[in-house]
Amino acid sequence: MKEINLKVKIGDFEFQNPITVASGTFGYIEKYMDDAKLRKLGAIVPKTITLNPQDGNPAPRIVETASGMINSIGIENEGVDSFIENKLPKLQKIGIPIIVSISGKTKDEFLRIAEKLNKCDIAFLELNLSCPNLGHKKLVAQDSQATFDTIKAVKEVSKARIIAKLSPNVTDISEIALSAEEGKADALSLVNTFWAMAIDIKKRIPLIGNVTGGLSGPAIKPIALSMVYKVRQVTRIPIIAMGGIMDYKDALEFIIAGATFVAVGTANFINPNAPLEILKGIKEYLKENNISDINQLIGSLKTK
Amino acid sequence: MLKVQFKTKIVSNKKICPKYFSLVLDKKFSKKEISAGQFLNIKVSDGLKPLFRRPFSISRFKDNLEVLYEPVGEGTKILSQKEPGEILDVLGPLGNNFIKPEKDVKQIVFIAGGVGVAPFIGFSDDLKSFKGNKIILFGVRTKEHTFNLDVFRNNGFRVFISTDDGSKGVKGRVSELFSKIDVNEKGTICYVCGPKPMMRSAQDFVIKNNLSAQGSFEEVMACGIGTCRGCVIKTKSGFKTVCNDGPVFDLKEIIF
Repeated sequence: MKEINLKVKIGDFEFQNPITVASGTFGYIEKYMDDAKLRKLGAIVPKTITLNPQDGNPAPRIVETASGMINSIGIENEGVDSFIENKLPKLQKIGIPIIVSISGKTKDEFLRIAEKLNKCDIAFLELNLSCPNLGHKKLVAQDSQATFDTIKAVKEVSKARIIAKLSPNVTDISEIALSAEEGKADALSLVNTFWAMAIDIKKRIPLIGNVTGGLSGPAIKPIALSMVYKVRQVTRIPIIAMGGIMDYKDALEFIIAGATFVAVGTANFINPNAPLEILKGIKEYLKENNISDINQLIGSLKTK
Repeated sequence: MLKVQFKTKIVSNKKICPKYFSLVLDKKFSKKEISAGQFLNIKVSDGLKPLFRRPFSISRFKDNLEVLYEPVGEGTKILSQKEPGEILDVLGPLGNNFIKPEKDVKQIVFIAGGVGVAPFIGFSDDLKSFKGNKIILFGVRTKEHTFNLDVFRNNGFRVFISTDDGSKGVKGRVSELFSKIDVNEKGTICYVCGPKPMMRSAQDFVIKNNLSAQGSFEEVMACGIGTCRGCVIKTKSGFKTVCNDGPVFDLKEIIF
C-alpha cells in the first residue's frame, strides 16, 4: 500500500498532519520539552496571550472532578509584547506552524494584538472569544453579533488567517458558528471549556478560587463531539475539534464527525506524549482500514 | 514529548510504620540530574480515576529513587496497593531544590510536619559532612506516624519529636519544639516542609528571630512542569507555580 496521507488543509494552508495541542495545555516552550518530538505535530497552539500582562486568578485554580478538571487560571500571561520578544522566536524555531491564541477585553484590544503580531509572520491567529463582552452580560462567543463583529474587524487588520474559538455555553452553537463564518473566519475551534463548579462540603466553600471555572477532560467529550457534528451539518468551514481527547479513538470520533484538525488538551497534563501516541494510532487505523488519505475520513459519518 | 517522562519498575512498596509507606523505584539519576527537594509526578492509575498524576517529594536518591507517602486520598490509596515488579509512568525529577547552606552557616534546622519529612531524608545524606549543629524537629499526629529516624542520626542530626496526642515525644504541635533552635546563632538556616498551618507558624518564627528559611510547598497540580499554571502560590513577587518556580521558596516571601 502506498504512503498514507495525513496532510490536511485549512483554506490554502497545508499542515503535515491534523494533530495539535489546545491552548493553555502546552504553555510556551518549557524546559523539559523535546523539540525533535514536538516537530512531529501538525501545529502548536501556545497559551492565550492578551494585550497587557495578566497575573491570573487567585488559588485554587484547578480541581479534579469525575473524569475531568475544572480550571480558572485567568489567562495568566506576560502580554503580547513580551510574547513577541521572548517566546515567539523560540516557538517559530521549532519549524512547524504556530497558531497564536489571543484574547481581548474589547474588540479594540483584539485589533491591537493582531496588529502587533502582523510583523511576526504568523500563519494563524486563534481568537479566544470566551471572554466578557464588555458592556454586555454575555461572552462575545455567546452573542452572534459580537462574534461576527470581532472576527470581521480582526480579519480586516490581520495578515494571519483567523480561527474563531467558540464557547459551548450557548443554546445553539451552530448559530454562533454561522456568524463566525459570515465574519470570514477561516476555521472554527470547537469547543472551549464548559462552565462548572465543585464545592468542598466540609468547609462549604468553592473548590475554585474564582468560584466557577471551565470543565475539560473526558467528561465533556461526548458533548463536544455532538457540537462538532451539529456545526458540520450547517457549514463546511474547517473545524479544529477539542474536548476531552485522550487517545486516538477519541480523535477519530471527532474527525469522523467532521473535524479537519484535532487538538489535545487536558490529556497533555496526564500523558505529555498523548499527541504523538494519537498521531501514531490514527496512522495505524488508516492502514488497517485501507484508507490512504485522512481527508477521506473527515466527516465520513454514516447516518440514515 | 517530554525529556523527563519515564517508565520504571517498583522494587518495593511497603509500610515503614502504621501510617506511612515507602516506595522504591528501579531508577537512578546522577548527582548532576537530581537534587534534594525535587519531586516526581506519578501516574497511579491507567484509567480515568484518578485523572491527574500525583506529585510526591523524592525522599531519597542515593541509590534507587524513593518516595515516602501516606495513603490518605484516592491516588495514594491506589499507589499503596501496587506490588513490586509493577510498572509506573513517572515524570521527574521536577521542580527546583533546597539551596545548600552557605559557608557561614553554623546551624541547620529541619522543621518537618507529618509526611513533609520526606525530602529531608535525602537532604540529610547531602549534609552528612556538615560539621555544625544539625537538628530535626519532627511533628506528627500520633506515634503511629513516626518511623525509624536513625537515618537522620546517622547523618549527624539530633532528632526531636512532637505528637498532637502526646503518644511520643513532646505533646503538641511542632512549634512546641522551636525552643530547640539556638535563635542567637545568626548563622542558622531552617528548611521547612509540612502542612500550611505549620508553614505559617514557622514563617512567624523565622521572621521574629530573623533567621533564614526555605520552605517546600504543596498544591494541587495537573501538569507538574509549569504549563497549566494551576498550582500557584502567592508570593511577595506575585503568583508562582509550586511545580516549576518551586516547590522550594524563601519562606519569608510567601503570602499566606
